[in-house]
Amino acid sequence: MMNRFWMATALAALMATPAVSETFRWASTTDPQTMDPHAVSSTPVLGFLNNVYEGLVRRGRDMSIEPALATAWEPLPEGAGWRFTLREGVTFHDGAAFTAEDVRFSYERAASEQSDVRSWFAPVTDLVVVDEYTIDILTRSPQPIFPDSIANWMIMDSGWAEANGAAGVARDAENFATLNANGTGAFRLVSRQPDLETILEPFEGWWGEVEHNITRAIFTPIQNDATAVAALLSGEIDMINPVPVQDADRIDAGDGVLVLRGIETRVIMLGFAHDHETLQNGAPNPFRDVQVRGAVAQAVNVDAILQTIMRGSAEPASQLVPPSARGFSTAQDTRPVLDPDAARAALAEAGYPDGFEFTLSCTNDRYINDEAVCQAIVGMLAQVGLRATLEAGPVSNYWPELRAGNFDMYLLGWSPGTFDAEHPLRFLVHTAGESLGTWNFGGYSNPRIDALLPMIQSEIDEDARQAMLDEAAAIVQDDMVYVPLYVEPLLWGVRNGVTLTQRPDNFFILRWVSVD
Amino acid sequence: MTDTPVTPPRSAPRSRLSMAWDSDVAHAFRRSPVAMISALVTILMVGAAICAPLIAPHDPFNPATLNLMNGFTPPGTPNMFTGESFFMGTDDQGRDVFSTILYGLRISLFVGFAAVGFAMVLGITLGLIAGYVGGLVETIIMRVADVQLTFPAILVAMLIFGVAKGITPPEYRNDVAIWVLIIAIGLSDWVQFARVVRGATMVEKSKEYVQAARLIGRSPGAIMLRHILPNVLSPVLVIATISLALAIIAEATLSFLGVGAPPTEPSLGTLIRIGQGFLFSGEWWILFFPACTLLILALAVNLLGDWLRDALNPRLR
Repeated sequence: MMNRFWMATALAALMATPAVSETFRWASTTDPQTMDPHAVSSTPVLGFLNNVYEGLVRRGRDMSIEPALATAWEPLPEGAGWRFTLREGVTFHDGAAFTAEDVRFSYERAASEQSDVRSWFAPVTDLVVVDEYTIDILTRSPQPIFPDSIANWMIMDSGWAEANGAAGVARDAENFATLNANGTGAFRLVSRQPDLETILEPFEGWWGEVEHNITRAIFTPIQNDATAVAALLSGEIDMINPVPVQDADRIDAGDGVLVLRGIETRVIMLGFAHDHETLQNGAPNPFRDVQVRGAVAQAVNVDAILQTIMRGSAEPASQLVPPSARGFSTAQDTRPVLDPDAARAALAEAGYPDGFEFTLSCTNDRYINDEAVCQAIVGMLAQVGLRATLEAGPVSNYWPELRAGNFDMYLLGWSPGTFDAEHPLRFLVHTAGESLGTWNFGGYSNPRIDALLPMIQSEIDEDARQAMLDEAAAIVQDDMVYVPLYVEPLLWGVRNGVTLTQRPDNFFILRWVSVD
Repeated sequence: MTDTPVTPPRSAPRSRLSMAWDSDVAHAFRRSPVAMISALVTILMVGAAICAPLIAPHDPFNPATLNLMNGFTPPGTPNMFTGESFFMGTDDQGRDVFSTILYGLRISLFVGFAAVGFAMVLGITLGLIAGYVGGLVETIIMRVADVQLTFPAILVAMLIFGVAKGITPPEYRNDVAIWVLIIAIGLSDWVQFARVVRGATMVEKSKEYVQAARLIGRSPGAIMLRHILPNVLSPVLVIATISLALAIIAEATLSFLGVGAPPTEPSLGTLIRIGQGFLFSGEWWILFFPACTLLILALAVNLLGDWLRDALNPRLR
């Protein structure tokens, strides 16, 4: 009897021993909206596509810039731009060779009007193909951190895009590149079912040194916290991002699963409709008044949110970038103090002694506990007389609604792609225009910021640059352009036996994964 | 002293109440403990829901009264920051679970009753017309009903809810959510009523009293309403009771899926959805109490409906 039991166990163990195939499954709350690397500048999209597409440069495990499709780069004389030497012998997933023409095509595509990433190229005047493996990127002014700022500019095959009618970017629409991909990355897209399942397999012809051992990677979006945790605990999924904050301690204490903790570079903040004449309900827009925006900041008890909803796993934020980012302004590191009485007084002074009604727009599948945080904010604002109706929905419809101006106040999380304090100024604070201020939904506009930005971008002296960043940070705080709330935590749940790297920008890089 | 003759008990005209007390149904009721208990539970729950503002220690729908620091307080234990204590604990927003259940029960029952009422009016009207008028009208109504029966009710409800949400401007969405929920559940539920009423109407239609009413020239509308309707009501009553339990569960299902009542005004289903997220982290009370309430309510109403079906059907007694 006992013998038979042992034999059965041994047999089971034998069969359970992984064979050559190593399928890696991971899940996240948000499905990347598109497979087009130039269509949506958001972490779920760019993070996912970093596995499929590559840029001229890429970020390493410690966020440092390292060569990818370019092997070397150097500034052109007199700050005229940068010269990149391209890697030879690289092929796209469909076998086409990678040349300078693809870089030129990708520049034109990414800098086009429909592109969501065109602000990366705002200082660029032209891209010149010097020879098949050399390009020059010409800029209006010296751009000392330009290579840093294009780590997520992914190169697409010109022939493939043109043959499939995907030469242009379809931002809030679809084209061939929305569901298909052809990059040079370590993984190729095998199948894509939006909101259901996306399958990647290693690209045999990849130029780099393979560090992973997976033969197939399957991504599934799982919105429900409990479902994701159950899938992780049962071994159905190898990694989930994020682990619900309420479950992190318990999962960590159990066997078989590990929680990787970190602080993301993402600041969660409240944005306002600065330039709307009226609110959604037709009443005059009180958020045009800086006093009202200040009252909002004084009414929101961030510590309580962090203590309960985030269970102590996040840090309060004072600026649009976290303290770890380059150019963080230590001089401006103070948050508005919680003071509901002062908020009520400020509202009364601004002409709203009885408060007013408005809509708070919020995602429910994008940031950790986003809907719960918004609900709590509704309660806190109600205590000073600001009666918000919560409009919470999935992120797939969220950005289009914000772009269309259908909001009064909204929740936003921003992670600086360059890891630098200049990044949110460019996207969120600069006057909204064709290539700058593209995520400045509220329409805030300040000539001083607009003047500071190009100076910050081209300043080489660190101290002078920091002084300008300090000034900009002070303006953003004084004008209450946004109310920064907290820095989002990073919580990845990983099955034992899986080795991976957690990067602070919350990008999950498959080529650093190994399964045993 | 002369013997005063014992006055025979006066056969006073019996009150309606005592007639009802002596009726078959009431008799069956008094003999069935299941019926009595489930009726009691239902009445208690409806009563608690109606009197929620009086009973509930907190008003969970008024965000201004919430203190986030009360979040996740276990039942009966004082909160570690505020020292406040809650009989059934609090949820993630610091809402008292007991109060939220009372208010949630209100929404669940209101949606349940209103949806069944809506389905009943629609189903009876269409059933009467189909059964009485017959011909092409009957064919059209009953084929529509057949087609609808081929879709699962919850799917129909979700479809209606989705369309309604799409066409309502965002600022009114929360206000109309409850009404859309009622219409969505009601529309997915009218077929049963229509089929039963149609069948019964066809039987009644050929009886003498209907013929007589026709002969004296009463209008079809009057005949349907005044003469036929009262005679087809008893099966309707049974279906209505069972539908009520189903409607409450349908509402909970929709809200659980996140398409029903808004999170700021949670029904039982919304509460269960919220609580389900904390199941793994040990905050069991956020899920447990609303789920139990829903279970007990649905069970009581269902048992009551079952018993009513048996009581009204002489062959089953």
